[in-house]
Amino acid sequence: MTHAGLISTAVLLGLFVLAGGGYGILYGAGMLRASVRLERAAYLCYATQAAVAVAVCLSSPLNPLWKLFIAASCIAYGFIPPLTWRLLEAMHHPTVR
Amino acid sequence: MYRSQKLALRYLAAAITLFGVMTVAGLLSALYYVEPSLLYNVFDFQMAKILHIDTLVIWLLMGFIGAVYWFLPKELGREVVGIRLAEVLFFVFCAAVAVVAVVFVVVQYGGSNQFSMWFINQGRKYVEAPRWAAVGIVVVVLTFVYNVTATAWRARKMTGILWVLILDLVPLTVLYLDAFPQITNMSHDLYWWWWLVHMWVEATWEVLIGCLMAWTLMELMGTSRRIVETWLYIEVMLVLGTGILGLGHHYFWIGTPQYWLGIGGFFSALEPLPLLGMVVHAVYDAGTHRMKTTNRPSFYWVLAEAFGNFIGAGVWGFMMTLPQINLYSHGTQWTVSHGHFAFWGAYGCGVIAIAYLVLQQTRGSTQFDSRAWKWSFALLNVGLLGMVGGLLVAGITQAVYERAQGGSTLQAFVVASENQWFQSGMYARLIFGAVFALGYAILVYDLLAIGKRVAIAPKPQVSTA
Repeated sequence: MTHAGLISTAVLLGLFVLAGGGYGILYGAGMLRASVRLERAAYLCYATQAAVAVAVCLSSPLNPLWKLFIAASCIAYGFIPPLTWRLLEAMHHPTVR
Repeated sequence: MYRSQKLALRYLAAAITLFGVMTVAGLLSALYYVEPSLLYNVFDFQMAKILHIDTLVIWLLMGFIGAVYWFLPKELGREVVGIRLAEVLFFVFCAAVAVVAVVFVVVQYGGSNQFSMWFINQGRKYVEAPRWAAVGIVVVVLTFVYNVTATAWRARKMTGILWVLILDLVPLTVLYLDAFPQITNMSHDLYWWWWLVHMWVEATWEVLIGCLMAWTLMELMGTSRRIVETWLYIEVMLVLGTGILGLGHHYFWIGTPQYWLGIGGFFSALEPLPLLGMVVHAVYDAGTHRMKTTNRPSFYWVLAEAFGNFIGAGVWGFMMTLPQINLYSHGTQWTVSHGHFAFWGAYGCGVIAIAYLVLQQTRGSTQFDSRAWKWSFALLNVGLLGMVGGLLVAGITQAVYERAQGGSTLQAFVVASENQWFQSGMYARLIFGAVFALGYAILVYDLLAIGKRVAIAPKPQVSTA
Protein backbone atom coordinates (compact mmCIF):
# COMPACT_ATOMS: atom_id res chain seq x y z
CA MET A 1 0.00 0.00 0.00
CA THR A 2 1.35 3.42 -0.92
CA HIS A 3 1.27 6.24 1.62
CA ALA A 4 -1.36 8.04 -0.48
CA GLY A 5 -3.46 4.88 -0.55
CA LEU A 6 -3.08 4.52 3.21
CA ILE A 7 -4.35 8.01 3.96
CA SER A 8 -7.19 7.98 1.44
CA THR A 9 -8.42 4.54 2.53
CA ALA A 10 -8.31 5.41 6.25
CA VAL A 11 -10.13 8.69 5.64
CA LEU A 12 -12.75 6.94 3.49
CA LEU A 13 -13.32 4.30 6.17
CA GLY A 14 -13.74 6.99 8.82
CA LEU A 15 -16.15 8.89 6.57
CA PHE A 16 -18.05 5.68 5.94
CA VAL A 17 -18.95 5.26 9.62
CA LEU A 18 -19.39 9.00 10.17
CA ALA A 19 -21.91 9.21 7.34
CA GLY A 20 -23.67 6.19 8.86
CA GLY A 21 -23.84 8.06 12.18
CA GLY A 22 -25.21 11.16 10.44
CA TYR A 23 -27.84 8.98 8.81
CA GLY A 24 -28.86 7.54 12.19
CA ILE A 25 -29.03 10.90 13.96
CA LEU A 26 -30.93 12.68 11.18
CA TYR A 27 -33.28 9.75 10.67
CA GLY A 28 -34.12 9.80 14.38
CA ALA A 29 -34.54 13.58 14.42
CA GLY A 30 -36.69 13.44 11.27
CA MET A 31 -39.00 10.82 12.76
CA LEU A 32 -39.28 12.70 16.04
CA ARG A 33 -40.24 15.97 14.41
CA ALA A 34 -42.08 14.35 11.52
CA SER A 35 -39.85 16.47 9.30
CA VAL A 36 -39.53 15.46 5.68
CA ARG A 37 -36.52 17.75 5.32
CA LEU A 38 -34.61 16.01 8.08
CA GLU A 39 -35.57 12.65 6.72
CA ARG A 40 -34.27 13.66 3.29
CA ALA A 41 -31.05 14.87 4.90
CA ALA A 42 -30.78 11.45 6.56
CA TYR A 43 -31.11 9.67 3.23
CA LEU A 44 -28.55 12.08 1.76
CA CYS A 45 -26.15 10.94 4.49
CA TYR A 46 -26.89 7.35 3.64
CA ALA A 47 -26.31 8.09 -0.05
CA THR A 48 -22.97 9.64 0.95
CA GLN A 49 -22.14 6.50 2.88
CA ALA A 50 -23.01 4.37 -0.15
CA ALA A 51 -20.87 6.62 -2.37
CA VAL A 52 -17.97 6.25 0.07
CA ALA A 53 -18.45 2.46 -0.01
CA VAL A 54 -18.30 2.55 -3.82
CA ALA A 55 -15.15 4.68 -3.64
CA VAL A 56 -13.55 2.20 -1.23
CA CYS A 57 -14.47 -0.70 -3.54
CA LEU A 58 -13.18 0.99 -6.67
CA SER A 59 -10.15 2.95 -5.55
CA SER A 60 -8.72 1.52 -2.33
CA PRO A 61 -5.94 -1.07 -2.23
CA LEU A 62 -7.92 -3.20 0.25
CA ASN A 63 -8.20 -6.94 -0.27
CA PRO A 64 -11.35 -7.88 -2.35
CA LEU A 65 -12.91 -9.66 0.62
CA TRP A 66 -12.72 -6.50 2.70
CA LYS A 67 -14.32 -4.57 -0.14
CA LEU A 68 -17.14 -7.09 -0.19
CA PHE A 69 -17.47 -6.68 3.57
CA ILE A 70 -17.70 -2.88 3.24
CA ALA A 71 -20.40 -3.24 0.56
CA ALA A 72 -22.36 -5.70 2.73
CA SER A 73 -22.09 -3.58 5.84
CA CYS A 74 -23.26 -0.54 3.85
CA ILE A 75 -26.48 -2.42 3.17
CA ALA A 76 -26.73 -3.35 6.88
CA TYR A 77 -26.29 0.31 7.90
CA GLY A 78 -29.33 1.14 5.77
CA PHE A 79 -31.57 -1.03 7.95
CA ILE A 80 -30.26 -0.19 11.41
CA PRO A 81 -31.91 3.23 12.05
CA PRO A 82 -35.41 2.23 10.81
CA LEU A 83 -35.28 -1.11 12.65
CA THR A 84 -33.99 0.49 15.84
CA TRP A 85 -36.68 3.14 15.60
CA ARG A 86 -39.40 0.56 15.13
CA LEU A 87 -38.09 -1.40 18.10
CA LEU A 88 -38.00 1.72 20.27
CA GLU A 89 -41.55 2.65 19.28
CA ALA A 90 -42.72 -0.87 20.04
CA MET A 91 -41.05 -0.74 23.46
CA HIS A 92 -42.31 2.71 24.39
CA HIS A 93 -45.82 2.37 22.96
CA PRO A 94 -46.61 -1.37 23.03
CA THR A 95 -50.32 -0.91 22.29
CA VAL A 96 -49.90 1.44 19.32
CA ARG A 97 -49.88 -0.37 15.99
CA MET B 1 -29.33 7.43 53.03
CA TYR B 2 -27.92 3.90 53.14
CA ARG B 3 -24.35 3.37 54.36
CA SER B 4 -23.65 1.88 50.97
CA GLN B 5 -24.59 5.19 49.37
CA LYS B 6 -22.26 7.09 51.69
CA LEU B 7 -19.55 4.70 50.57
CA ALA B 8 -20.56 5.41 46.96
CA LEU B 9 -19.94 9.12 47.55
CA ARG B 10 -16.46 8.34 48.85
CA TYR B 11 -15.72 6.16 45.84
CA LEU B 12 -16.93 8.83 43.43
CA ALA B 13 -14.86 11.50 45.24
CA ALA B 14 -11.79 9.26 44.98
CA ALA B 15 -12.55 8.64 41.30
CA ILE B 16 -12.76 12.36 40.51
CA THR B 17 -9.53 12.97 42.45
CA LEU B 18 -7.72 10.29 40.44
CA PHE B 19 -9.21 11.79 37.28
CA GLY B 20 -7.23 14.89 38.23
CA VAL B 21 -4.02 12.90 38.79
CA MET B 22 -4.55 11.28 35.40
CA THR B 23 -4.99 14.71 33.79
CA VAL B 24 -1.81 16.11 35.36
CA ALA B 25 0.20 13.01 34.41
CA GLY B 26 -1.23 13.26 30.89
CA LEU B 27 -0.21 16.91 30.59
CA LEU B 28 3.28 16.02 31.76
CA SER B 29 3.43 13.17 29.22
CA ALA B 30 2.40 15.61 26.48
CA LEU B 31 5.13 18.05 27.58
CA TYR B 32 7.88 15.45 26.99
CA TYR B 33 6.99 15.36 23.29
CA VAL B 34 7.68 19.05 22.85
CA GLU B 35 10.53 19.21 25.38
CA PRO B 36 12.19 15.76 25.29
CA SER B 37 14.92 16.59 27.83
CA LEU B 38 12.38 17.64 30.45
CA LEU B 39 13.13 16.04 33.85
CA TYR B 40 15.66 13.79 32.15
CA ASN B 41 16.85 11.09 34.55
CA VAL B 42 14.68 12.61 37.27
CA PHE B 43 11.19 11.60 36.19
CA ASP B 44 11.21 10.12 32.71
CA PHE B 45 8.41 9.86 30.18
CA GLN B 46 7.61 6.22 30.88
CA MET B 47 6.78 6.93 34.53
CA ALA B 48 4.43 9.79 33.62
CA LYS B 49 2.79 7.52 31.05
CA ILE B 50 2.37 4.70 33.59
CA LEU B 51 0.79 7.11 36.07
CA HIS B 52 -1.48 8.51 33.34
CA ILE B 53 -2.78 5.14 32.16
CA ASP B 54 -2.96 3.36 35.52
CA THR B 55 -4.89 6.22 37.12
CA LEU B 56 -7.22 6.16 34.11
CA VAL B 57 -8.02 2.51 34.81
CA ILE B 58 -8.40 3.07 38.55
CA TRP B 59 -10.53 6.22 38.40
CA LEU B 60 -12.98 4.56 36.05
CA LEU B 61 -13.02 1.38 38.13
CA MET B 62 -13.65 3.39 41.31
CA GLY B 63 -16.38 5.33 39.52
CA PHE B 64 -18.09 2.08 38.45
CA ILE B 65 -17.80 0.54 41.93
CA GLY B 66 -19.12 3.73 43.52
CA ALA B 67 -22.04 3.85 41.11
CA VAL B 68 -23.01 0.25 41.89
CA TYR B 69 -22.85 0.94 45.64
CA TRP B 70 -25.19 3.89 45.01
CA PHE B 71 -27.80 2.09 42.93
CA LEU B 72 -27.72 -1.35 44.57
CA PRO B 73 -29.60 -0.58 47.83
CA LYS B 74 -32.21 1.36 45.86
CA GLU B 75 -32.65 -1.54 43.50
CA LEU B 76 -33.07 -4.08 46.29
CA GLY B 77 -34.59 -1.88 48.99
CA ARG B 78 -32.06 -2.87 51.64
CA GLU B 79 -28.57 -2.16 52.91
CA VAL B 80 -25.70 -3.89 51.14
CA VAL B 81 -24.57 -7.10 52.84
CA GLY B 82 -20.99 -6.87 54.13
CA ILE B 83 -20.95 -3.09 54.00
CA ARG B 84 -18.52 -2.81 56.92
CA LEU B 85 -15.93 -4.87 55.05
CA ALA B 86 -16.52 -2.77 51.93
CA GLU B 87 -15.98 0.43 53.95
CA VAL B 88 -12.71 -0.84 55.40
CA LEU B 89 -11.50 -1.99 52.00
CA PHE B 90 -12.25 1.39 50.47
CA PHE B 91 -9.63 2.96 52.73
CA VAL B 92 -7.23 0.07 52.08
CA PHE B 93 -7.79 0.57 48.32
CA CYS B 94 -7.10 4.31 48.53
CA ALA B 95 -4.02 3.79 50.71
CA ALA B 96 -2.72 1.15 48.30
CA VAL B 97 -3.22 3.44 45.30
CA ALA B 98 -1.40 6.25 47.12
CA VAL B 99 1.53 3.98 48.11
CA VAL B 100 1.83 2.62 44.56
CA ALA B 101 1.78 6.16 43.16
CA VAL B 102 4.49 7.29 45.59
CA VAL B 103 6.63 4.26 44.67
CA PHE B 104 6.16 5.06 40.96
CA VAL B 105 7.19 8.67 41.53
CA VAL B 106 10.04 8.14 44.00
CA VAL B 107 11.50 4.66 43.39
CA GLN B 108 10.33 4.34 39.76
CA TYR B 109 12.02 1.06 38.79
CA GLY B 110 14.21 -1.75 40.09
CA GLY B 111 16.20 -4.69 38.83
CA SER B 112 14.78 -7.69 36.96
CA ASN B 113 13.98 -9.67 40.08
CA GLN B 114 11.15 -10.86 42.28
CA PHE B 115 11.52 -7.95 44.69
CA SER B 116 10.86 -5.42 41.92
CA MET B 117 7.85 -7.37 40.72
CA TRP B 118 6.34 -7.58 44.20
CA PHE B 119 7.14 -4.11 45.50
CA ILE B 120 7.99 -1.69 42.66
CA ASN B 121 6.47 -2.51 39.30
CA GLN B 122 4.89 -5.71 38.01
CA GLY B 123 6.19 -4.85 34.55
CA ARG B 124 3.03 -5.55 32.58
CA LYS B 125 1.69 -2.64 30.56
CA TYR B 126 -1.45 -0.95 31.98
CA VAL B 127 -1.38 -3.21 35.07
CA GLU B 128 2.01 -2.11 36.34
CA ALA B 129 0.95 -1.95 40.00
CA PRO B 130 3.35 -4.18 41.98
CA ARG B 131 2.17 -7.67 42.79
CA TRP B 132 1.11 -6.88 46.39
CA ALA B 133 -1.19 -4.14 45.11
CA ALA B 134 -2.52 -6.39 42.34
CA VAL B 135 -3.44 -8.96 45.01
CA GLY B 136 -5.12 -6.13 46.92
CA ILE B 137 -7.17 -5.19 43.86
CA VAL B 138 -8.36 -8.80 43.59
CA VAL B 139 -9.44 -8.70 47.26
CA VAL B 140 -11.33 -5.43 46.73
CA VAL B 141 -13.07 -6.73 43.61
CA LEU B 142 -13.95 -10.04 45.27
CA THR B 143 -15.46 -8.15 48.21
CA PHE B 144 -17.40 -6.02 45.75
CA VAL B 145 -18.72 -9.14 43.99
CA TYR B 146 -19.66 -10.61 47.37
CA ASN B 147 -21.48 -7.38 48.33
CA VAL B 148 -23.56 -7.44 45.16
CA THR B 149 -24.40 -11.15 45.04
CA ALA B 150 -24.99 -11.58 48.80
CA THR B 151 -27.27 -8.53 48.87
CA ALA B 152 -29.35 -9.87 45.99
CA TRP B 153 -29.45 -13.29 47.65
CA ARG B 154 -30.48 -11.90 51.04
CA ALA B 155 -33.10 -9.63 49.47
CA ARG B 156 -34.59 -12.63 47.65
CA LYS B 157 -35.00 -10.34 44.68
CA MET B 158 -33.51 -10.34 41.24
CA THR B 159 -33.98 -7.86 38.43
CA GLY B 160 -32.84 -8.06 34.82
CA ILE B 161 -30.18 -5.39 35.36
CA LEU B 162 -28.84 -7.24 38.40
CA TRP B 163 -28.67 -10.52 36.52
CA VAL B 164 -26.62 -8.90 33.79
CA LEU B 165 -24.43 -7.14 36.35
CA ILE B 166 -23.70 -10.28 38.39
CA LEU B 167 -23.01 -12.38 35.30
CA ASP B 168 -20.68 -9.64 34.08
CA LEU B 169 -18.78 -9.45 37.37
CA VAL B 170 -17.61 -13.05 36.97
CA PRO B 171 -15.49 -12.51 33.79
CA LEU B 172 -14.52 -9.04 35.02
CA THR B 173 -12.93 -10.59 38.11
CA VAL B 174 -11.51 -13.69 36.45
CA LEU B 175 -9.94 -11.72 33.60
CA TYR B 176 -7.99 -9.56 36.04
CA LEU B 177 -6.14 -12.72 37.12
CA ASP B 178 -4.51 -12.43 33.71
CA ALA B 179 -2.37 -9.68 35.24
CA PHE B 180 -0.39 -12.27 37.19
CA PRO B 181 1.30 -14.88 34.97
CA GLN B 182 5.01 -14.58 34.28
CA ILE B 183 5.25 -15.90 30.72
CA THR B 184 8.65 -15.55 29.14
CA ASN B 185 7.53 -16.06 25.53
CA MET B 186 6.46 -12.60 24.42
CA SER B 187 3.84 -13.78 21.92
CA HIS B 188 2.21 -16.03 24.51
CA ASP B 189 2.38 -13.31 27.09
CA LEU B 190 0.74 -10.72 24.83
CA TYR B 191 -1.86 -13.24 23.70
CA TRP B 192 -3.20 -13.65 27.24
CA TRP B 193 -2.49 -10.12 28.35
CA TRP B 194 -4.87 -8.84 25.63
CA TRP B 195 -7.60 -10.97 27.16
CA LEU B 196 -7.37 -8.74 30.20
CA VAL B 197 -7.01 -5.41 28.42
CA HIS B 198 -9.43 -5.95 25.54
CA MET B 199 -12.05 -8.00 27.36
CA TRP B 200 -12.22 -5.47 30.14
CA VAL B 201 -12.44 -2.44 27.90
CA GLU B 202 -14.50 -3.77 24.99
CA ALA B 203 -16.60 -6.40 26.74
CA THR B 204 -17.02 -6.50 30.53
CA TRP B 205 -16.75 -2.74 31.08
CA GLU B 206 -19.17 -2.11 28.21
CA VAL B 207 -21.71 -4.37 29.91
CA LEU B 208 -21.05 -2.78 33.30
CA ILE B 209 -21.54 0.77 31.99
CA GLY B 210 -24.66 -0.52 30.18
CA CYS B 211 -26.11 -1.62 33.55
CA LEU B 212 -25.17 1.69 35.16
CA MET B 213 -26.68 3.68 32.28
CA ALA B 214 -29.87 1.60 32.58
CA TRP B 215 -30.23 2.66 36.23
CA THR B 216 -29.24 6.23 35.35
CA LEU B 217 -31.88 6.50 32.62
CA MET B 218 -34.55 5.14 34.96
CA GLU B 219 -33.78 7.84 37.53
CA LEU B 220 -32.89 10.68 35.18
CA MET B 221 -35.74 10.37 32.72
CA GLY B 222 -38.14 8.02 34.43
CA THR B 223 -37.70 5.46 31.65
CA SER B 224 -39.54 2.27 32.54
CA ARG B 225 -37.66 -0.79 33.73
CA ARG B 226 -39.13 -2.90 30.94
CA ILE B 227 -37.63 -0.59 28.31
CA VAL B 228 -34.16 -0.23 29.82
CA GLU B 229 -33.90 -3.95 30.50
CA THR B 230 -35.00 -4.91 26.99
CA TRP B 231 -32.49 -2.48 25.54
CA LEU B 232 -29.80 -3.72 27.91
CA TYR B 233 -30.28 -7.33 26.74
CA ILE B 234 -30.04 -6.28 23.09
CA GLU B 235 -26.99 -4.12 23.77
CA VAL B 236 -25.23 -6.87 25.72
CA MET B 237 -25.93 -9.38 22.96
CA LEU B 238 -24.60 -7.08 20.22
CA VAL B 239 -21.62 -5.72 22.16
CA LEU B 240 -20.46 -9.15 23.24
CA GLY B 241 -21.25 -10.64 19.82
CA THR B 242 -18.89 -8.22 18.11
CA GLY B 243 -16.55 -7.33 20.97
CA ILE B 244 -15.32 -10.74 22.11
CA LEU B 245 -13.80 -11.83 18.80
CA GLY B 246 -12.96 -8.20 18.04
CA LEU B 247 -10.10 -9.12 20.40
CA GLY B 248 -8.44 -10.40 17.23
CA HIS B 249 -7.46 -6.90 16.11
CA HIS B 250 -4.83 -6.95 18.85
CA TYR B 251 -3.46 -10.24 17.50
CA PHE B 252 -2.49 -8.96 14.06
CA TRP B 253 1.21 -8.36 14.71
CA ILE B 254 2.20 -10.28 17.84
CA GLY B 255 3.17 -13.60 16.25
CA THR B 256 -0.24 -15.31 16.26
CA PRO B 257 -1.51 -17.37 13.28
CA GLN B 258 -2.63 -15.53 10.15
CA TYR B 259 -6.33 -16.37 10.55
CA TRP B 260 -6.53 -13.71 13.25
CA LEU B 261 -6.21 -11.07 10.51
CA GLY B 262 -9.57 -12.14 9.13
CA ILE B 263 -11.32 -12.84 12.43
CA GLY B 264 -10.06 -9.70 14.16
CA GLY B 265 -10.72 -7.44 11.19
CA PHE B 266 -14.21 -8.81 10.59
CA PHE B 267 -15.53 -8.65 14.14
CA SER B 268 -13.95 -5.34 15.03
CA ALA B 269 -15.36 -3.84 11.83
CA LEU B 270 -18.80 -4.95 13.08
CA GLU B 271 -18.33 -3.11 16.38
CA PRO B 272 -19.70 0.26 15.13
CA LEU B 273 -23.06 -1.31 14.22
CA PRO B 274 -24.47 -1.63 17.79
CA LEU B 275 -23.06 1.83 18.53
CA LEU B 276 -25.18 3.23 15.68
CA GLY B 277 -28.25 1.70 17.30
CA MET B 278 -27.29 3.38 20.59
CA VAL B 279 -27.00 6.76 18.84
CA VAL B 280 -30.51 6.37 17.40
CA HIS B 281 -31.70 5.46 20.90
CA ALA B 282 -30.05 8.58 22.35
CA VAL B 283 -31.81 10.75 19.75
CA TYR B 284 -35.12 9.05 20.63
CA ASP B 285 -34.68 9.60 24.37
CA ALA B 286 -33.53 13.20 23.97
CA GLY B 287 -36.42 13.96 21.60
CA THR B 288 -39.21 12.31 23.57
CA HIS B 289 -38.12 14.24 26.65
CA ARG B 290 -37.67 17.42 24.59
CA MET B 291 -34.30 17.90 26.32
CA LYS B 292 -36.23 18.68 29.52
CA THR B 293 -34.93 17.22 32.74
CA THR B 294 -34.35 18.34 36.31
CA ASN B 295 -30.68 17.43 36.01
CA ARG B 296 -29.29 18.96 32.83
CA PRO B 297 -25.61 18.29 33.59
CA SER B 298 -26.21 14.57 33.98
CA PHE B 299 -28.48 14.47 30.93
CA TYR B 300 -25.92 16.21 28.70
CA TRP B 301 -23.12 13.96 29.91
CA VAL B 302 -25.28 10.91 29.09
CA LEU B 303 -25.77 12.28 25.57
CA ALA B 304 -22.04 13.00 25.30
CA GLU B 305 -21.42 9.39 26.26
CA ALA B 306 -23.62 8.02 23.45
CA PHE B 307 -22.14 10.26 20.75
CA GLY B 308 -18.57 10.13 22.07
CA ASN B 309 -18.68 6.34 22.15
CA PHE B 310 -19.90 6.21 18.56
CA ILE B 311 -17.33 8.63 17.19
CA GLY B 312 -14.39 7.63 19.40
CA ALA B 313 -14.81 3.88 19.24
CA GLY B 314 -16.80 3.61 16.01
CA VAL B 315 -15.42 6.19 13.57
CA TRP B 316 -11.88 6.44 14.94
CA GLY B 317 -11.71 2.67 15.44
CA PHE B 318 -12.96 1.81 11.96
CA MET B 319 -10.41 4.09 10.33
CA MET B 320 -7.60 1.87 11.50
CA THR B 321 -8.99 -1.55 12.31
CA LEU B 322 -8.69 -3.37 8.98
CA PRO B 323 -5.37 -5.26 8.85
CA GLN B 324 -4.03 -3.51 5.75
CA ILE B 325 -4.38 -0.10 7.45
CA ASN B 326 -3.49 -1.36 10.90
CA LEU B 327 -0.14 -2.63 9.62
CA TYR B 328 0.91 1.03 9.42
CA SER B 329 -1.19 2.63 12.15
CA HIS B 330 -0.74 0.33 15.16
CA GLY B 331 1.44 1.66 17.93
CA THR B 332 1.46 5.20 16.52
CA GLN B 333 -0.17 8.32 17.96
CA TRP B 334 -3.14 7.39 15.76
CA THR B 335 -3.90 4.56 18.19
CA VAL B 336 -3.43 6.98 21.07
CA SER B 337 -5.98 9.31 19.46
CA HIS B 338 -8.50 6.46 19.17
CA GLY B 339 -7.81 5.36 22.76
CA HIS B 340 -8.38 8.84 24.19
CA PHE B 341 -11.61 9.39 22.28
CA ALA B 342 -13.06 5.94 22.93
CA PHE B 343 -12.29 5.89 26.68
CA TRP B 344 -13.71 9.36 27.13
CA GLY B 345 -16.86 8.62 25.15
CA ALA B 346 -17.54 5.14 26.44
CA TYR B 347 -16.66 5.57 30.10
CA GLY B 348 -15.45 8.98 31.24
CA CYS B 349 -18.64 10.82 30.28
CA GLY B 350 -20.75 8.07 31.87
CA VAL B 351 -19.03 8.31 35.27
CA ILE B 352 -19.38 12.12 35.27
CA ALA B 353 -23.10 11.77 34.40
CA ILE B 354 -23.57 9.41 37.35
CA ALA B 355 -21.65 11.76 39.68
CA TYR B 356 -24.07 14.59 38.84
CA LEU B 357 -27.08 12.32 39.31
CA VAL B 358 -25.83 11.15 42.70
CA LEU B 359 -25.06 14.69 43.84
CA GLN B 360 -28.54 15.92 42.95
CA GLN B 361 -30.11 13.18 45.04
CA THR B 362 -27.66 13.75 47.89
CA ARG B 363 -28.25 17.48 48.00
CA GLY B 364 -32.00 17.19 47.52
CA SER B 365 -32.05 19.84 44.84
CA THR B 366 -35.03 19.79 42.49
CA GLN B 367 -33.52 22.12 39.89
CA PHE B 368 -29.92 21.18 39.41
CA ASP B 369 -28.22 23.70 37.19
CA SER B 370 -25.28 26.10 37.13
CA ARG B 371 -23.13 28.05 34.69
CA ALA B 372 -20.00 26.20 35.74
CA TRP B 373 -21.14 22.78 34.46
CA LYS B 374 -21.66 24.27 30.99
CA TRP B 375 -18.13 25.66 31.02
CA SER B 376 -16.61 22.43 32.23
CA PHE B 377 -18.69 20.42 29.72
CA ALA B 378 -17.54 22.66 26.87
CA LEU B 379 -13.88 22.87 27.90
CA LEU B 380 -13.51 19.16 28.63
CA ASN B 381 -15.08 18.16 25.32
CA VAL B 382 -13.35 20.83 23.23
CA GLY B 383 -10.07 19.97 24.95
CA LEU B 384 -10.56 16.31 24.22
CA LEU B 385 -11.53 16.91 20.58
CA GLY B 386 -8.45 19.09 20.14
CA MET B 387 -6.22 16.47 21.72
CA VAL B 388 -7.53 13.62 19.58
CA GLY B 389 -7.30 15.84 16.48
CA GLY B 390 -3.66 16.69 17.22
CA LEU B 391 -2.83 13.06 17.98
CA LEU B 392 -4.55 11.95 14.78
CA VAL B 393 -2.43 14.32 12.66
CA ALA B 394 0.73 13.17 14.47
CA GLY B 395 -0.27 9.51 14.13
CA ILE B 396 -1.02 9.71 10.41
CA THR B 397 2.34 11.43 9.94
CA GLN B 398 4.03 8.53 11.71
CA ALA B 399 2.08 5.95 9.69
CA VAL B 400 3.08 7.63 6.43
CA TYR B 401 6.68 8.74 7.03
CA GLU B 402 7.85 6.17 9.54
CA ARG B 403 5.95 3.10 8.37
CA ALA B 404 4.73 3.35 4.75
CA GLN B 405 7.67 5.35 3.38
CA GLY B 406 10.44 4.64 5.86
CA GLY B 407 9.87 0.94 6.46
CA SER B 408 9.80 1.22 10.28
CA THR B 409 13.54 1.67 10.69
CA LEU B 410 15.06 3.64 13.55
CA GLN B 411 16.07 6.32 11.06
CA ALA B 412 12.47 6.51 9.82
CA PHE B 413 11.27 6.88 13.42
CA VAL B 414 13.60 9.85 13.91
CA VAL B 415 12.57 11.40 10.59
CA ALA B 416 8.87 11.07 11.43
CA SER B 417 9.43 12.50 14.93
CA GLU B 418 11.09 15.56 13.44
CA ASN B 419 8.41 16.08 10.81
CA GLN B 420 6.61 19.38 11.30
CA TRP B 421 3.18 17.76 11.01
CA PHE B 422 4.08 15.41 13.86
CA GLN B 423 5.44 18.23 15.98
CA SER B 424 2.46 20.50 15.27
CA GLY B 425 0.15 17.66 16.28
CA MET B 426 1.99 17.20 19.56
CA TYR B 427 1.88 20.94 20.29
CA ALA B 428 -1.86 20.93 19.57
CA ARG B 429 -2.26 17.99 21.96
CA LEU B 430 -0.44 19.92 24.68
CA ILE B 431 -2.45 23.11 24.21
CA PHE B 432 -5.78 21.30 24.12
CA GLY B 433 -4.62 19.18 27.04
CA ALA B 434 -4.33 22.41 29.02
CA VAL B 435 -7.87 23.33 27.91
CA PHE B 436 -9.03 19.91 29.14
CA ALA B 437 -7.25 20.46 32.47
CA LEU B 438 -9.03 23.80 32.88
CA GLY B 439 -12.32 22.03 32.20
CA TYR B 440 -11.42 19.49 34.88
CA ALA B 441 -10.73 22.24 37.43
CA ILE B 442 -14.13 23.83 36.74
CA LEU B 443 -15.77 20.39 36.92
CA VAL B 444 -14.34 19.88 40.43
CA TYR B 445 -15.53 23.34 41.50
CA ASP B 446 -18.98 22.64 40.11
CA LEU B 447 -19.25 19.21 41.72
CA LEU B 448 -18.43 20.81 45.06
CA ALA B 449 -20.82 23.75 44.63
CA ILE B 450 -23.77 22.73 42.44
CA GLY B 451 -27.10 22.36 44.18
CA LYS B 452 -25.76 23.67 47.49
CA ARG B 453 -27.03 27.20 47.14
CA VAL B 454 -30.62 27.37 48.31
CA ALA B 455 -32.72 30.10 46.78
CA ILE B 456 -33.72 32.39 49.65
CA ALA B 457 -37.14 33.92 49.31
CA PRO B 458 -37.21 37.69 49.94
CA LYS B 459 -38.44 38.58 53.41
CA PRO B 460 -41.93 40.01 53.38
CA GLN B 461 -41.93 43.76 53.90
CA VAL B 462 -43.60 44.67 57.16
CA SER B 463 -45.45 47.89 56.90
CA THR B 464 -44.84 50.26 59.80
CA ALA B 465 -47.43 52.70 58.72
